Amino acid sequence: MGAQNEPVGPRPLRAVPDSGFSGYPDWEAVYRDNASWVYRTLFARVGNRADAEDLTAEVFLAALRPLRLTASVGEVRAYLRATARTVLAAHWREAMGREITSIDDIEQPPDSEEAISTAPQRVAKVLDSLPDRYRQILEMRFLQSNSIKESAAELGISVANAKVLQHRALRLAAQVNEGGQP
Amino acid sequence: MNARGLRRYVDDLLRGRRPRAFAPDDFEAAQIRTAIELRAARQGPDAGDEEFLTDLRRRLAAQADGTSPPVAKSGATRRNVIVGTSAAAAAAVTAVAVDRAVMGSPAEAPAVAGQLTPNDGRWQRVAASSDVPDGTMHPFDLGSVTGFVRRVDGKPRAISGVCTHQGCRLWFDAPDDTLRCPCHTTSFSPTGQVLTHQLPIAPKPLPTLMVREVNGVIEVFAPPV
Repeated sequence: MGAQNEPVGPRPLRAVPDSGFSGYPDWEAVYRDNASWVYRTLFARVGNRADAEDLTAEVFLAALRPLRLTASVGEVRAYLRATARTVLAAHWREAMGREITSIDDIEQPPDSEEAISTAPQRVAKVLDSLPDRYRQILEMRFLQSNSIKESAAELGISVANAKVLQHRALRLAAQVNEGGQP
Repeated sequence: MNARGLRRYVDDLLRGRRPRAFAPDDFEAAQIRTAIELRAARQGPDAGDEEFLTDLRRRLAAQADGTSPPVAKSGATRRNVIVGTSAAAAAAVTAVAVDRAVMGSPAEAPAVAGQLTPNDGRWQRVAASSDVPDGTMHPFDLGSVTGFVRRVDGKPRAISGVCTHQGCRLWFDAPDDTLRCPCHTTSFSPTGQVLTHQLPIAPKPLPTLMVREVNGVIEVFAPPV
């Protein structure tokens, strides 16, 4: 096996010639056009900025190198989503020893709202099914980012009780969310 | 059960801090999942912090300029390139290759594979008939020719086991029913058609070999060693 006639450097991804694709002029255009949805896709699955930023950086640092710029926009996005899936799975395995959330195969384009996150719809459904007090504490704490003190005051209970309420509300919400009945 | 780990994790999420890792059980994992969704469902999804996005762009530019020249001047081989890229990227490439297999249209398959018919050859035993039951891919190596023999509707079929790109020897990935090249991640179907590749030009399908079954023995017509 002679290696001398082997092309070197980043290998383009290619399987099927695309017909009439519109691609990106350079990797900066790839980044500009896709950084936002990649970040949002990851944020929706880790729930915090620090992890979402790290994972977004990892996706682009890993993906841009072997990227073939003649790929169509759709191909580039599919490739970025596939990379994000791998990066997220590795993150969870390393941090928690198991996958907590994942990026699924879907038919919608990766930059569409349905692909980025279904959290708002899912959360609305879960909250709807909870008793009022449980729903309220979760809304205050998770959605409105109120402190436990503020939330306790608003509900007219002690801080200790608010903590217990939040704890129970999340347990119940998780049961509902995972398909179990409350 | 790790009640403290879970409490701390949720607390970190609520404070916008990086959550600290712990080993959750099933139900704790479900609660984390729900907590993450709750945080992700807040109003006005931010598109990423401006400062972060700018900084990442700078890092990518540095990578593009420094470590990843468009034409490698050093003696970088494909292997170096793979090692230099993160495992995540390598895995992602695999994922995309698989995606492409689904997208690939048969109309774009390259020319039909030829049959290898040596001018100077003889029938050589590659397996006992009983070694090749239906549904198995039986590898053989005659020295001059290596390949795989299998049965289709009871009849033996043989194909070359050498990648048509640069001659690397293929291995059979039984769970995927696919012949894989270790050199450039090209893959072939058991009939020899190219399934996936990452090469500028699609490699040719694998040539078939002349094969027959006589007296409980499967033989391939191949040049003497």
